[in-house]
Amino acid sequence: MAQDAISSKRPQIAVLANIYKTRLHTQHIVDRILDGYGWGGVYRHPQMDVVSIFVEQRGEGDLVPERAQRHPGMQVYSTTAEALTRGTGKLAVDGVVYIGEQGDYPRNEKGQTEYPRYRFFEEIVGVFRASGRSVPVYVDKHLSYRWDWAKDMVDTSRKMGFPLMAGSSAPVTWRIPSVELPLGATVREAVCVAFGAVDSYDIHALETIQCMVERRKGGETGVEWVQAYRGDNFWKAHEQGVWSQKLFKAGLCRSHTVTPAREGFSNVYPTLRQLRELAPDAVAYHYQHTDGLRCTMMLLNGLLQDRNFAAEIQGQLEPFSTQMYCSRPLENATLENYFAPLVYLIEQMMLTGKEPYPVERTLLTTGLVCAGIDSLFQGQPRLQTPQLDIHYQPAASTMRRT
Amino acid sequence: MLTRRRFIGYTALTSASLAYRPLLLPGMAQTPRDTSRPPVRLAVIGNAYQYGSNLQSIVDRFLVGYPIEGDWHMPSVQVVSMYIEPKRRAQVAVPIAPRPSAARGAAQESEGVTLAQSAQLAARTGGGGGAGGGARAAAAERAPEHDGPPGPMDDLSAGRSQEFGFRLCANIPEALRCGGDHLAVDAVLSIVEQGNYPRNHKDQILYPRYDYFQQCVQVFQDEGRAVPYFNYNSLSFSFNEAKDMVATSEKLKFPMLAGSALPVTWRLPDTDIPLGAQIQEAVMVGFGGIDSGDFDALEAMQSMMERRKGGETGVKAVQFLEGDDVWAAGESGRWSKELLSSAQSRSDAPQGLTVMDGRPQDMVAAGVLPQLVKDPAAYCIEYTDGTRATLLMLNGADQDFTFSARVAGQGLIATQFFNSPMPNLTFTAALASKIEHLFTTRSAPYPVERTLLTSGVLESCLTSREHGNQRLETPHLCVKYQPPAESQYART
Repeated sequence: MAQDAISSKRPQIAVLANIYKTRLHTQHIVDRILDGYGWGGVYRHPQMDVVSIFVEQRGEGDLVPERAQRHPGMQVYSTTAEALTRGTGKLAVDGVVYIGEQGDYPRNEKGQTEYPRYRFFEEIVGVFRASGRSVPVYVDKHLSYRWDWAKDMVDTSRKMGFPLMAGSSAPVTWRIPSVELPLGATVREAVCVAFGAVDSYDIHALETIQCMVERRKGGETGVEWVQAYRGDNFWKAHEQGVWSQKLFKAGLCRSHTVTPAREGFSNVYPTLRQLRELAPDAVAYHYQHTDGLRCTMMLLNGLLQDRNFAAEIQGQLEPFSTQMYCSRPLENATLENYFAPLVYLIEQMMLTGKEPYPVERTLLTTGLVCAGIDSLFQGQPRLQTPQLDIHYQPAASTMRRT
Repeated sequence: MLTRRRFIGYTALTSASLAYRPLLLPGMAQTPRDTSRPPVRLAVIGNAYQYGSNLQSIVDRFLVGYPIEGDWHMPSVQVVSMYIEPKRRAQVAVPIAPRPSAARGAAQESEGVTLAQSAQLAARTGGGGGAGGGARAAAAERAPEHDGPPGPMDDLSAGRSQEFGFRLCANIPEALRCGGDHLAVDAVLSIVEQGNYPRNHKDQILYPRYDYFQQCVQVFQDEGRAVPYFNYNSLSFSFNEAKDMVATSEKLKFPMLAGSALPVTWRLPDTDIPLGAQIQEAVMVGFGGIDSGDFDALEAMQSMMERRKGGETGVKAVQFLEGDDVWAAGESGRWSKELLSSAQSRSDAPQGLTVMDGRPQDMVAAGVLPQLVKDPAAYCIEYTDGTRATLLMLNGADQDFTFSARVAGQGLIATQFFNSPMPNLTFTAALASKIEHLFTTRSAPYPVERTLLTSGVLESCLTSREHGNQRLETPHLCVKYQPPAESQYART
């Protein structure tokens, strides 16, 4: 009986995923819940259990059978509703973890992969409604490739009163150096010097910026307009000072992966010409918040392979800068430990029923991705974004420190 | 837009460029050197300016600058002369001659060891690892040292000399005198590693660091003036030589700094042993070869241990364990399995099942270490004050450097010493800033005794190994020093 009392306190979690293969998001997140992970200087075994799982795309390389065999408490189901109701006809879990990233899904004309996040969310909410009860939901990475759907997801969670957590690992991973933007600081301008593709890594770089600038004086007030720059447009804007070259440099100087511009040198700061040669197809989303703050998210493939933040803060002579560190298999790393803080925070939400940080952050970054991609698709005009009139106050800092 | 700051920058560049030709080079124009005072004139002495080597990574930082504190920094240091061993520059495979003066017993036994033989030895004992070791291994892969004709990346010294306008010298005294009659530099940077030097019967690589040092000291004595000296990595394979180096620097009153980059690299998390804390026990996990990654790991561990209550008081005994004895020692409590698990929980590079399918694993709890690690080694250290620390070299388990200590009243303090990726190897930027501090302020940011003690501990551990892994009393390692009050690793 005592054992039952203890186990009844452990939240029972349903996992839903597009795909569960080696080195994909589901593997990083669910393996940490199942097998534990390094946290606080020990191996932490989360105080929750995965009791059901539904993975939409199985096939070669699928890890579900091996994981289910080692963790017999995790039952494999073939629909969202079954995983959530576990044969009882109504909601039978204490929380839902949905990893709607990766897998084989169609691309639309704008180049967005149509991951089925909204469809899954609707299915989850359908079970909640039918059961007259709802539980905390984690949605990995951005909310949807469509703004109206993302908005509806957040509105629905608010209407039905269940905690919703979403977003990138970038805001919660180690920082090198380990610094947080001073709460209430007046931020003049901010950039993220990053890498990766549009519609996949832009969200990480935007969340890198947003988790910082939401701490500025007054909190978040929304975004007025967004303009994308790509290729020659990017470098022209860079030379013209559309964004701060000083902040760009500060960000780049936090990188550990700058491509050497000269043969025989392993770490040199590139000239402007070399920058252009290294990253000819650079992309920026340049945008202005309603309080006047201007931010620029930059993807510089060919120049670097990490994510670096820099901001000009009133009263500080030099830029505030840091790297959101992700252990990727560039040299020796084999373990994508930047998922550890996400799993820890998912656990905290499942245990306490409280969102670790406002989902409005990810609503805003999801909207910025949509607007940035629209600007790219339409020939890089400035687009007004009245829909991004999103106001919120930041939560206590959740960057990884331990 | 020409801001005031940028205007000052351009002005400084213009005046500086009259005096220092290298400042005109592309890539530097954006961050001119501080020209408010003349730069420190630096002599570099080393054995290989090979792409991917630590010498290349570190010396380049004094030529083209380096990233630090979110900016690209041009040190107020100008390389004016360089000595690179001619045999390395020529890339001629000939037997290494016995060491001239400082050879003594060890080297005599290695007489006649050819480069090919020593390369085989090196391969057998494992390449490298770690902050530096990774670079070594990568460089070796890119440019096999004595297989086939040398490539353009094997010796960069001539090209750099031409581009940056420093004198390439035929010997060390010439480098210190810049071809003139008198000491003409303000600092010396010595990086002697890589290259196929023979190993002695303890498997120590006979790097001629002491010889290089002695040749500099000869010039200092002849001139009646000595300048700051940085020695990369261990001081010498011989503690007696290392001790003599430190004593000489004290006698001639020149500041000296030494060691690897691992103690000063970033840490994940950003944490240190609180100064004056009572460390109950510590475990460090490393990877790499004998007399290679083990030194970096021991020194990183020492940079933690020296902060314990009372400061450093020396090491009274060491014991090297290998094979199943390592696991048996863990079972018997000679080293703590809890601390090993804790250190490994900081690793981003576990092997085995993680490589196979990405899963995290507590290898201690799962009991998989004996299967993963074919040749485990433990370097057991007993400090004079009774504190115990153990370095576990676990090739096959993790490929990074992690540490955990049980500290009275604080619980576990565990971290990873960040081995930043190729090719930037930014941990050498952290080290370069410490070297620059030594050169520009003529004071060492942390005691050279750390490296002295680590050099001696490594030698004694390998002596224990040579003597059938016997516990070895080490009264000679009574090295006492106080750590710097402020942590010196990269954190800003």
